[in-house]
Amino acid sequence: MVHTHENRSMLGQGMLIFVYLAVLTALEFFVAISFNSVPLLLVVALVKAVLVVYYYMHVYKLSLESEIDDEAYDYKAGTNRLGLWLFLISDTFVFAGLMVMRVNLLGLSRPALNQVLGLAVTAVLLISSYFMNRGETLIHNGDRKGFLTNTAVTFVLGLGFLLGVVLVEWRLAIEEGLTPSSGPAGAAFFMMTGMHAFHVFTGLILLAIVWVNGRRGLYDVKSYPVEAAAVYWHFVDVVWIFFYPALYLIGTAVH
Amino acid sequence: MTNMNPVVKGLVLLGVAAAIGYGIGLGLDLLISGSVNYNGSVSAAFALLLAVTAFFFGVYGYRGITRGLVFQVVGTVLGGLFISGLRALMGSETVFGTFFFSEPAWVFGALVGVISFIFGVGVVRDWVQWARGLDTAEHHEDPPGGGKYFDVSLDHKVIGIQYTVTALVLIAVGGTFALIFRTELAASQLQFLTTTFKLFNQTGPQFYNTLMSLHGIIMIISILLGVSGIMNYAVPFLVGAHDMAFPRLNAFAYWVSVPASVLLLMSLVLGGFDTGWTGYPPLSARAPVGMQMFFLGVFTAGWSSILGSLNVIATVVRMRAKGMSAMRLPIFVWASVATSIIALTATQLIGLSFQLVMFQRLFGMGFFDAAKGGNPVLFQHLFWFYSHPAVYVFVLPGLGIISELLPVFVRKPLFGYRWIAMSSLGIALVGFTVWAHHMFTSGMNEYLRVPFMYSTLLVAVPTGVKFFSWVATLWGGKIETPTPMLFVLGAIVVFLLGGLTGPPNAAIALDLHLHDTYFIVGHFHDTIFGGFVFPFFAAIYYWFPKATGRRMNEFWGKVHFWLMTPSFFVLTLGMMVVGLKGMRRRIVDYDPALGFDFSHLVMTIAAFLIALSVLIFFINLFYSIKKGEKAEGNLWNSRSPEWQVPSPMPVHNYDVPFEVVGEPYDYGLKDSKYIEFSPNGSKHIEFTTKPEVEPHH
Repeated sequence: MVHTHENRSMLGQGMLIFVYLAVLTALEFFVAISFNSVPLLLVVALVKAVLVVYYYMHVYKLSLESEIDDEAYDYKAGTNRLGLWLFLISDTFVFAGLMVMRVNLLGLSRPALNQVLGLAVTAVLLISSYFMNRGETLIHNGDRKGFLTNTAVTFVLGLGFLLGVVLVEWRLAIEEGLTPSSGPAGAAFFMMTGMHAFHVFTGLILLAIVWVNGRRGLYDVKSYPVEAAAVYWHFVDVVWIFFYPALYLIGTAVH
Repeated sequence: MTNMNPVVKGLVLLGVAAAIGYGIGLGLDLLISGSVNYNGSVSAAFALLLAVTAFFFGVYGYRGITRGLVFQVVGTVLGGLFISGLRALMGSETVFGTFFFSEPAWVFGALVGVISFIFGVGVVRDWVQWARGLDTAEHHEDPPGGGKYFDVSLDHKVIGIQYTVTALVLIAVGGTFALIFRTELAASQLQFLTTTFKLFNQTGPQFYNTLMSLHGIIMIISILLGVSGIMNYAVPFLVGAHDMAFPRLNAFAYWVSVPASVLLLMSLVLGGFDTGWTGYPPLSARAPVGMQMFFLGVFTAGWSSILGSLNVIATVVRMRAKGMSAMRLPIFVWASVATSIIALTATQLIGLSFQLVMFQRLFGMGFFDAAKGGNPVLFQHLFWFYSHPAVYVFVLPGLGIISELLPVFVRKPLFGYRWIAMSSLGIALVGFTVWAHHMFTSGMNEYLRVPFMYSTLLVAVPTGVKFFSWVATLWGGKIETPTPMLFVLGAIVVFLLGGLTGPPNAAIALDLHLHDTYFIVGHFHDTIFGGFVFPFFAAIYYWFPKATGRRMNEFWGKVHFWLMTPSFFVLTLGMMVVGLKGMRRRIVDYDPALGFDFSHLVMTIAAFLIALSVLIFFINLFYSIKKGEKAEGNLWNSRSPEWQVPSPMPVHNYDVPFEVVGEPYDYGLKDSKYIEFSPNGSKHIEFTTKPEVEPHH
């Protein structure tokens, strides 16, 4: 176990950011049910997204300078980091397109869904991001055991979110008459959550891969793959930061 | 059989397999529906899939692409049967649907087929190893000879040529489709695509619609692949890298385009589709199963475009030679970056819009179904958000090629380097804001029209900058006119015509009349030929010696140019003339009283002459690979780094790295120098085949 000073301060920072995110999510929920202000919800979502993108996905690492040397691990990791971010930018356009579809078809109405259940699955995903950040910080400092524990927790929470949406939320919606073919609300809801769930699913596969390989000590020194899986996982969280208010909080409920 | 030329062997096997596939299809038809349909889709689908596979089996044996295609066929059938089985278990009444498989079965089968192809061809092998925690060799050596082009290679030059050849094959296919329907249009009334004509479950007019739609999309995909081909081939050695940033992703991006092309051909036989390449709902929501194959094919090809452009950006950002600052980048690299920015981001929107229609058809989700509260105009917004910027994806690399080659053949510096570089980015960025000019007549909110008109007119500014630079570069130059330069000059003139006919369409008042006429058809053929096809041919003539060590025949190159250019003018100017007089696009027939018969006849003859010139090009290309005049040195007397090393290009480009010490296009200036080879030029370490780390076992 390596517990450097930097390690502790990074873990502390992750905790602090998680507290901010939790408070903002609670605030968001409160705003939605008490006076439903769309601009305010948008601001809260933006602040949350910026926090995750900066502190959990550490976008600033893109500007890290390293000597140009094709064969050096750090330089290759930097190239891979750029490639991953380019991919995420591309992927953002899918979700942005879905958002445009939702706004165009539904405007200031939203699918009739259980708001408490929505808050519950959101909380699960948010907590998973916290553990992912912990796991990543630990492996960067050579703490394999801590990494494995935290990644396993992330995986379980992620699986919980996926099953919560697909098995519980979808079934409840269909029972209530909100089906893919029932109208624009149903179509938007199933398409958006479906696309997001597909990304959660691929994220879970990545987590499983880094967990298995990490257990065999592959990332004790060269830990970029863990960073990549973590950044992807947080990206999926950022998408949900916008989808959650769009589907559960904004406007009035319709079938 | 063993002594046969592989291509002949492939063609023989193609014939045999087509017959067998046709027989299987007829048998299945008989089994399921109790009657034999000689023009049916099942037999044609089987014939097509088996024939393509058998051809590559004959050419290359059961390896590489053949293995991929076999996997695709098996995957398609198994995927289809899986869904058919599920539907049977669920008690669905129309398990087999019209075409043996029901629509969901075909869609799922096609999807499984694409994924199977990827695994079959072996392009994800290294990634699977990495996921299992095993290390693989950093580089893979390709075997010598032509076989590497049919197999997975990580070398950017091989992949570039694979892309280019695939693009040329698709151009031939799409062009053939055009010739078929152009023949039908040569005279009014229906001649051979009549209502009694029957093929692939389609009547003559339906078949016309399918060919017209497929001509559009196959040409678009072939342009995207051609763009990727030239970018893949040239960008790494222009910036001094030994390969792309992500060689495996690069190979992956190429290989997904192969099953995508197969899917597009499948759409022809599976009932076709009649929407044009735009696939607007509500028509696309009820077209035959071919529509779904089209959606899935474009979706798959889109991934090729997205991942390829991701790679280009990463390569340019991370792998440039020492001293190659932003303002010393070759101009083609600037154009590639601009193009890649569009392709990386906007492509997702066409993928999404097509996916939404697919889901509307499969699951009854009413995104674009007005009866279910959906909005058909929403589709057009999502679709054009990509599909307009897409035309800049097509033309920006071509315009980059013009700027890249012009100084070489004029022997003087490129005029206004900075402005040219920035104008590519300018076109790319303004291009994101113009999409709704395709929708002036589609019932979108009227207040949106004027802003989109102005943003569209704004595109003419950066484009004008390019023309100004080209003319100023030509001014007072010592102009040489070998074949590549002819095509560059042709591109400038044709693109000018395309450019000048653009702003009239952007003006709302005119567009309301010009919309959906042959004027538009003439306009975009001019922009695409000027912006892509002519520069593409120029690039092939220019870099062919770099790839093969031989040059293409000059005489036949010039015949190609002088036959194609005037014919092309006749064709597109004819289109614009009949368009202005009211000829609608996308229709199989027109009223003889309109008096267009003669114009159409002339256009058809011109189209055949273009086809003849392209045929000459193909023969020249094929012949020159082995028998062309040797050209191993700096054939065009270029300053560009790739011409300072012998042709064909060494496997990892530069044995000794170079350093940029001057401006790239200072032709004719005394003592000016662009690059200097020096062992310390950059830290690119010389190529080794040893894995960097010992594999963990």
